[in-house]
Order: sequence, then structure tokens, then C-alpha cells
Amino acid sequence: MSCGPLVFLAAFFAFAASWFGLVLAPQFQVGRLQQETNVVNTTELYPSARPGLARQGLEVYRAAGCAACHTEQVGQTGTVCDVVLTDAGTNHAALIETLIRSGLGRSNPGQYLSELPKPVRQGLNKEEADFLATALKSAGAKADVRIVPVGPDIARGWGKRRTVAEDYLYDDPVMLGSLRVGPDLANVGVRLPDPNWHLRHLYAPRLEVKDSPMPPYRYLFTMRRIGWQPSPDALQLPGEFAPPPGFEIVPKPEARALVAYLSSLRTDAVLFEAPMTAPSAPAAATATNTPAK
Amino acid sequence: MSLESHQPVSNASAVQEPQARAALAPVWLIVLMFMLLYCGAVYFDQNGGWFDSRIYAPYQTYTELESFQPKGGGPDLARGKAVFDTICALCHGANGEGKPGQAPPLAGSEWAQGSPDRMIRIPLYGLSGAVSVKGQQFNLAMPAMGAALSPDDLASVLVYIRTSWGNKGSVVTPEQVSAIKAKVGNHPQPFTVDELNAIQ
Repeated sequence: MSCGPLVFLAAFFAFAASWFGLVLAPQFQVGRLQQETNVVNTTELYPSARPGLARQGLEVYRAAGCAACHTEQVGQTGTVCDVVLTDAGTNHAALIETLIRSGLGRSNPGQYLSELPKPVRQGLNKEEADFLATALKSAGAKADVRIVPVGPDIARGWGKRRTVAEDYLYDDPVMLGSLRVGPDLANVGVRLPDPNWHLRHLYAPRLEVKDSPMPPYRYLFTMRRIGWQPSPDALQLPGEFAPPPGFEIVPKPEARALVAYLSSLRTDAVLFEAPMTAPSAPAAATATNTPAK
Repeated sequence: MSLESHQPVSNASAVQEPQARAALAPVWLIVLMFMLLYCGAVYFDQNGGWFDSRIYAPYQTYTELESFQPKGGGPDLARGKAVFDTICALCHGANGEGKPGQAPPLAGSEWAQGSPDRMIRIPLYGLSGAVSVKGQQFNLAMPAMGAALSPDDLASVLVYIRTSWGNKGSVVTPEQVSAIKAKVGNHPQPFTVDELNAIQ
């Protein structure tokens, strides 16, 4: 072999290039991420560290192999804008003229003057939305441009926006997952807030989700004889899933930790990297900033 | 009888041992590689976001990402807090609790939650003389600490004060601040309580 050094160098550079691209460059990019404030009106930092029980739940999640069938990453293919009329102003004639010129409300323009806020156009791109909002504002009305992320995952209701590196700041290891036998869990704490639902679902998935292919995780629960009185923590299980008479099913600490972890999974904060208009932001703002003269 | 004797020796000179040696790469391969490199670079330039850690698909550039930031959603409380911590917290305390002999409290203060027209004038022009806050008497002089702030910053910090620490004041807009600036104009002396009370 007369060109051994050349082969060695070629192999070295090939491996070094992948190390640079897959390890070093991401480390420079996101290795020093800090908590950040949301772009919505709040002074809270995001993300907050998971509470202790939820941190233990991450280990249960890892040990039970949940990440083999569940991902924790929401994708997004685009962003659209909705124009929402919030205040019709006083010059209704000019507003109706503007609406009709924008190709709206030709048949019944009066519908835009009542029941506000009302979405005027949906699914526009940014330029069209800004143009329409400016036109409405110049007619004396008030209009908001709402930023709406779109994509298959968001259409399934798995999240409001895509997930970004910031969302995983306190997870070690990050349970991203790569296979979706079950639904994505990145936002499950918002989608399914009831801890009892999760406990019943872990004990008997088909009790809550018809034809669910998820295996039951009964080793996270104990069946025991009812003592003086039934435990308040005992699962309420109907029909075929109920324990024999005189027995009750209670969750072990592992089940509680896992449910605490699932409830702590929420990616609904508005971040700079993934802008959206928080659906409840205007209502919350008026609720906390009630005019008090 | 050794093993070597089994090797065919008759045509040993005809078969040469294979050898690796350098050869010239064809020109078309080099051209193709440079074309692929060029296409890759153009694609990266348009879609890669130039290694900016804030840019994720489907956004392609920082400008595009910035254009989608929701705005017009009211005052910026994070900025208000930053301004407060830099300027106001020195005397009024980081939680608006006030400091005896330096500044009255803002948390729970009737001035901080009352008429915005009065409150905007205090940081813009200052306040001197006796003032009663939360049933306590203060006789101090506050300079025009907010005169140099932009209307946006002043409105943000006022909203932060009016909505933090249990305060329940109304929102102050930059337009209100600009309006008061234009209305009062030049006012070299700090306001007094009597002057403020004359304003609704």
C-alpha cells in the first residue's frame, strides 16, 4: 500500500468534517442558550426548570421506553396571517367601502360591524395581511394581524407552534423520539391537563382511547385489598377494567412522577424563534390591566 | 519439499502484482463537483439562515423571522422592567417598596394606580414638596428622571409600575406620554402635589 498516509488523511478529514458539522457547530450555535423572556407581555423567563417530581418522571419516561413510540417535537411547515377586525371605529361608510374594495362583505357588509372581534381574512401572507390591516386602519377601524403557525402536526392539535431548542433547555437527556406510533407529547400538558385521565390511561389505555395500540403499564400501579376505607387515590375504573371486589388499584410513586412529567410538557410560550399570536393574549391583557381610573 | 514449489512459476514474469498509484481525475468529475458545491452554497445562502441559532424552518432569514413577530399587543413589560431596574429601582426599590428618607413606595400607592395624566407628569417633570402616599407623609424632591426617556420606554415603565406588585392601574400608551409632553411644554420647576391635584 503505497499511499497509506493519503488514505489516512482522507479518512481523518471525512470524520473531522462530520464532527465539526454535527458536534462542534451545534455546540457553538445553541450550546450557551439561556432562559429568555417571551415576546408576549410577560416578565417571566422561559423555560422554567421542571419541578422535582416531574424531573423524576423524566427518568420513568426514559426507563419505560416511552420515547420508542412517542416524539416530543412539533413541526411547522409555514406561517400565515389572519386579519381580525377588533373595532369598527365611527366611520362605518369608509370601513364598508374599504371592505368591499378588498373583495369582502359584498353581500352583507353589516356583519363586520357587529360581534367584534371578527376575523376578516384568514390564511394571508404577511404582505397581504399588513396591506389589508393598513387599509382598515386608514378607514378609522382597528385591526390586528394574528400570526398563525401551520403544518400537519399543528393541524392534528399536537402543538400551537414548532418546537425549538429553547424548549428543551432543562431536559437531560432530551427525549426527542423518532417514531410516532403514538401521538406527539411535546404539548401534552396543555392538551390533556387532567392527571387522573393520564393515570387511567396508563393503567388501561383502551379505557380512554378506543383501539389504542399502547400497552398497559400496570407495573406502575399496585392492586391491594381495601383497608378501613377505600384510598382516595384509587383509580375509578369501570366494567371489565375494575379490580375484583374488595380490591383497589392505586398508583405507585413512579406513576405519579410520570404523570407529573407529562403534565409539565408544554410548549405554548411565544418565543422569538417561533412567533405566533397567543390565542388568549388579548383577553389576558384586558383581564390583568383592567382600567381602574 | 517446501510450499513455494507449489506456486506456478512458469508465467510468474507475465502476471504483475497489482499496485495502487496516483491517476489523473477526469475533468468532467472536477467540474461536476464544483457545480454541486455551487448549488449547495446557493441553497445554503437562501435557506440556511447563516448559522443563526434563532432561525428554524420554515423561516429562512432573520428579516423574515422578525417580520412575523407579533406586535401591537400593548406595552412591553419586559422592557418596562429593564427600565425600572436601571432607573427607578435605585430609590423606589426593586419591588416598588420605597426607601425611607429617599422615595415613597410605588407598590400599592394610590398615585401609581390613579390618574395616568398625573402619573406621567411625575417622572417627566419631577415632584417636590409634601406628598401623602399610603397614609404616610413624605417631603422629598424627585428630579425629572424620565425626561430623557423615549415615550415608548416611559410608557413601558409606567405600565410595569401600574400593573406590578399587586397594582391595578390602567395601561399608559406612548401617545399619552407624547400628548402630555406637548401639552405641558416647558416646565422648569418640578410639579407640586397641589398642581397635580388640579389635574384630573
